[in-house]
Amino acid sequence: MVTQTVESGAAGHGAEPRGKRTEAGEATYLIAIAEALWEEMERDERVFLLGEDIGAYGGAFKVTEGFIDRFGPERVMDTPIAEETIVGLAIGSAMEGFRPVAEFQYADFMSSGFDEITTVLARYHYRSGVPLPVVLRGPSGGGVRASSFHSINPEPWFAHAGGIKVICPAFPSDAKGLLKSAIRDDNPCMFLEHKWIYRRIKEVVPEDPDFLVPIGRAEVRRIGTDVTIVTYGAMVHRALDAAADLAQKGVSVEVVDLRTIHPMDTEAVLESVAKTSRALVVYESYRFLGVGAEVAAVIAEEAFEHLDAPVMRLAPPNVPVPFSPALEDAFLPDVADIEEAVQKLSAW
Amino acid sequence: MATEVSKERYLAEAVEELASLTPDHLREVLYKLKLCRYFDERMEALYRQGRLPGAIYSGRGQEGTHVGVAYALRSDDSLFPTHRDLSAQLTKGLDLNRVMAQFWGRIDGYTRGRDGNSHIGDWKGNRTFAVISHLPIAYPVACGAALAYKRRGEPRVAMAICGDGATSNGRWHEALNVSAIHRLPVVWVVNNNQYAYSTPNELEFAVPSIALRAAAYGMPGVRVDGANVLEVYAAARDAVERARGGDPSLIESVSLRWRGHAGHDPAKYVPRELLEDHVQNKDPVKRFEELLKAHDVIDDDGIKAIQERVGREFDQGYEYAQSSPFPVGSDVTKGLFVEDGYWTGEPSREGGTQS
Ligand SMILES: Cc1ncc(C[n+]2csc(CCOP(=O)(O)OP(=O)(O)O)c2C)c(N)n1
Repeated sequence: MVTQTVESGAAGHGAEPRGKRTEAGEATYLIAIAEALWEEMERDERVFLLGEDIGAYGGAFKVTEGFIDRFGPERVMDTPIAEETIVGLAIGSAMEGFRPVAEFQYADFMSSGFDEITTVLARYHYRSGVPLPVVLRGPSGGGVRASSFHSINPEPWFAHAGGIKVICPAFPSDAKGLLKSAIRDDNPCMFLEHKWIYRRIKEVVPEDPDFLVPIGRAEVRRIGTDVTIVTYGAMVHRALDAAADLAQKGVSVEVVDLRTIHPMDTEAVLESVAKTSRALVVYESYRFLGVGAEVAAVIAEEAFEHLDAPVMRLAPPNVPVPFSPALEDAFLPDVADIEEAVQKLSAW
Repeated sequence: MATEVSKERYLAEAVEELASLTPDHLREVLYKLKLCRYFDERMEALYRQGRLPGAIYSGRGQEGTHVGVAYALRSDDSLFPTHRDLSAQLTKGLDLNRVMAQFWGRIDGYTRGRDGNSHIGDWKGNRTFAVISHLPIAYPVACGAALAYKRRGEPRVAMAICGDGATSNGRWHEALNVSAIHRLPVVWVVNNNQYAYSTPNELEFAVPSIALRAAAYGMPGVRVDGANVLEVYAAARDAVERARGGDPSLIESVSLRWRGHAGHDPAKYVPRELLEDHVQNKDPVKRFEELLKAHDVIDDDGIKAIQERVGREFDQGYEYAQSSPFPVGSDVTKGLFVEDGYWTGEPSREGGTQS
């Protein structure tokens, strides 16, 4: 089905202001991320931001709008289009005691800094014992008609690199609490902000400046008894929609939101599968050799005796993210796809 | 090309530079040159005898560059070297015992056996970045260290070295550009030893010199003779001063890679006459020794004492390395993240000395 939603601005970003919390304290994911950065910069002067167009312009998605007025151009540092050197600046300054947070305009451009990320950042502590408290942030994910070069989900590349914690929050509160944890963590962290969620999902977000969400812990988003859906990022919202609908049809679905890809909370996954005996992994990064393969393998190795059905995966095919709404909708798992997969599993 | 200087002119011109260092410092420079040369020769011999595991990347013939640039740094300045630049790290102060333990994969090596040969660094002590193969991957990281010094108003500099071949890689250009835009206290050094593995300069760049490229980024660039350690040192000292004042610059130091790319490579692609000319007439160690003798900074006994000292230090390092235990296999997953405390605690020494 072709959705009629049209994104404002090119490739999902726009020039509209970031916006504010509602009277009731609800914040979008975008606002929650900005709050995390702001609070951590207020708290610790070693924290600084660097990236392209993040200063006066406030970043392509307006995450850092207004930051330069408060923190100045040294702590909100505009860089040229030089991704390897953006990562290098972060690594080198972290080696000398700073806590940099580098913004990639899109997570797609992390590949332009790939070597510094996977060869230096991911491996340096293991071979030297020098901590690298670096956070790399970037808007990831599709569903916003941004096509091949502005929609990528790079989490498996970097989870596979070893020494990087890879975080993919689905909700504003998690985004805030996990980003704050990442900034306080002494290890390299990659924080992938799903751009489809930015302005769509809002909730009441804690205002306590020490509100933290632990890295590496999953969260059960919906309790169920028949089938477990293991998922993360924007797919959590599809899975929850599917689960609500399936409940009407008499199927009780448990939704486990991984929140962090590496390190992965396999205990939470196994605990849920021990209860439901059926598992579906839904994710937006590539299906082949991906996050779902890892989750399925862990379940097969450690929960085989609990299983009543094969573990299933639902994820995009390994082709570039296409532009045409007809193609992108076919590419991404949707609510109907999830329901169909759950029904198949339930039939076992 | 680098200024071709006859031996006589070299001796005469060097006098001015001689005056900038005390006799003790000059003798220390000679010691460093001889240490690096001796280490390089002995390690290659051990490699050829099959007594050294892994690889070696000889820096022979380039000691003038390595010692000259690193000697201009203070201990709290940082150095970002490549596989070829162990002599620069030794000059900065790395402990020969631990360096040798690294080559033999032992727990007392700077990387606790996690990396080998010249993929070494001592960030916590001597402020040298643990070498990474990918060229020139430390260039962007040097920008970051320099940014930290600048932000805190510290009079420190970051120096990065790479070879002529590495300048073809995009991040070399990124890093120079960013350092100039943000006025970072960096000294960029290119050890132009005329070959990148088998590839000569003319297949790596089409400009007459690498130093010329500095202008494209808005910084000064100089080309110096790597056979003349004092000329290299003077250029590095000026560049370090400039960096302390807040501006980056580029030094291209020209020499020749006397040996193959690594221990396995006979380097038949290097013309014999070129190599002979460098070994006979442009040996940075021999030239400096002659200079100091000619100016009565050292005599034959003094030279002999240095030679004995480096021999002794090498033998001690070798013994130290052989008696240092291997890391234990069960530690293989430790220290990826900081939480397990592997790098803040003492590692197991139960690995034994037999592999
Ligand atoms: C990005 C990258 N590609 C290839 C290599 C393999 N390699 C190692 S050293 C070398 C030649 C380097 O030449 P140069 O930069 O002139 O330094 P030298 O070894 O002569 O000191 C090559 C191709 C590498 N280390 N990094």
